[in-house]
Amino acid sequence: MSDVLLTVNGQSYSAYAPVGMSLAQLLREELGFTGTKIACNEGHCGACTVQIDGVPVLSCITLAHNVTGEITTIEGLRDHPLIEAFVEADAVQCGFCTPGQVVSAAALVAATPDPTVDQIRHQMAGNICRCGTYPRIEEAIQKWRG
Amino acid sequence: MELVRATSLEQVDGGIAIHGGTEVVPLLRDGILQTEKLVDIRGVIPRGVAGNRIGAGTTLAELEVDPQVPDALREACRLAASPQLRNMGSIGGNLLQSTRCWYWRLKYPCHLHGGDRCHAREGEHREHAIFANDYCASAHPSDVAAALLALGTRVHTTQRELALEDLYRLPTVEERELVTLAPGELILELELPPVDASVYLKAMDRKRWAFPQVGVAAARVGGETRIALAGVAPVPWLLDGVDGLDAATPLPRTAWKVEVARALVRRAVTSVAAK
Repeated sequence: MSDVLLTVNGQSYSAYAPVGMSLAQLLREELGFTGTKIACNEGHCGACTVQIDGVPVLSCITLAHNVTGEITTIEGLRDHPLIEAFVEADAVQCGFCTPGQVVSAAALVAATPDPTVDQIRHQMAGNICRCGTYPRIEEAIQKWRG
Repeated sequence: MELVRATSLEQVDGGIAIHGGTEVVPLLRDGILQTEKLVDIRGVIPRGVAGNRIGAGTTLAELEVDPQVPDALREACRLAASPQLRNMGSIGGNLLQSTRCWYWRLKYPCHLHGGDRCHAREGEHREHAIFANDYCASAHPSDVAAALLALGTRVHTTQRELALEDLYRLPTVEERELVTLAPGELILELELPPVDASVYLKAMDRKRWAFPQVGVAAARVGGETRIALAGVAPVPWLLDGVDGLDAATPLPRTAWKVEVARALVRRAVTSVAAK
């Protein structure tokens, strides 16, 4: 066990955790950021996506003790226009993958405000939706600015 | 377990080195890797592209958009894994990744795990090797390694300089390790000789975020074309010319891979001839 110091959504946190604990587990179980989901827990599905210094990464295979940058979770994107865009496009079915989808999409539109369909498909390929709402996710991202 | 953040290469003595963690963390969790000490090497491994040299700590995401990088490597990075994994994973780590053989990943006591048989040869091997598969039929999953192999890459480590093909060896009863790095030896940089044209083509079971069923890289220097394949042998495979596939030894359910590889090789060679 040792201390972990993290910046999450602009606030500093410290937690006491065993080395080897994933960032996803720490966020959810120690810090209460339960918007980050754990689905496959092996780096395949993208449900656990968070940003570190603005870059989407998989928190389920990131070791909490190995994080050096600033973390943004779905809770930090509460006021992002993408949230309303996902609602408007009805891009949510069961909703379990949605936090990861929005975190990835937020990084995409920050770098590329008007992404083409191909850019969306390329940059969103790491977020799997088993309900198959991909066409509506694409639509939400295309219309994110309303 | 402890985690040490290395600030000099001398500090990397013992334990398991971790960079992006996309391979090490799942293998630790599954108990395939075991250690009391992890060494975070991000602070000591070169990162970025300078001319024809690539720092081993450069991520695949950085490489897929870098115009200095030859086409084959850029395309191999772009077609590899998922955006998040490309953001995390370093090119050095990518070269050291383990097979996706389901028996190996599920810890069957196979040849690579120190056992006395290859379960894939007798069992499910649809995704497995079509070359050098008599002892272990696993397929090497690195798109990037195939691209770098075709490009004639030299590897600079903390101890030596070697051709990329010498980083790998086929497993035998005496030596089951597929990588020739000594304990504690780290890949620092990759050096890419200039080529006139290159390409990477990949067959996968969906259009994005899949390991290669067959990946084909071709690089042309003058009239000479080097061809290397991913997903066809336990190590990245340098093909002996366009007819090299005649020497394939597919298992009963991998013959289809030979035909896919033939088609991709034909396309790749045509592509670099025209560039």
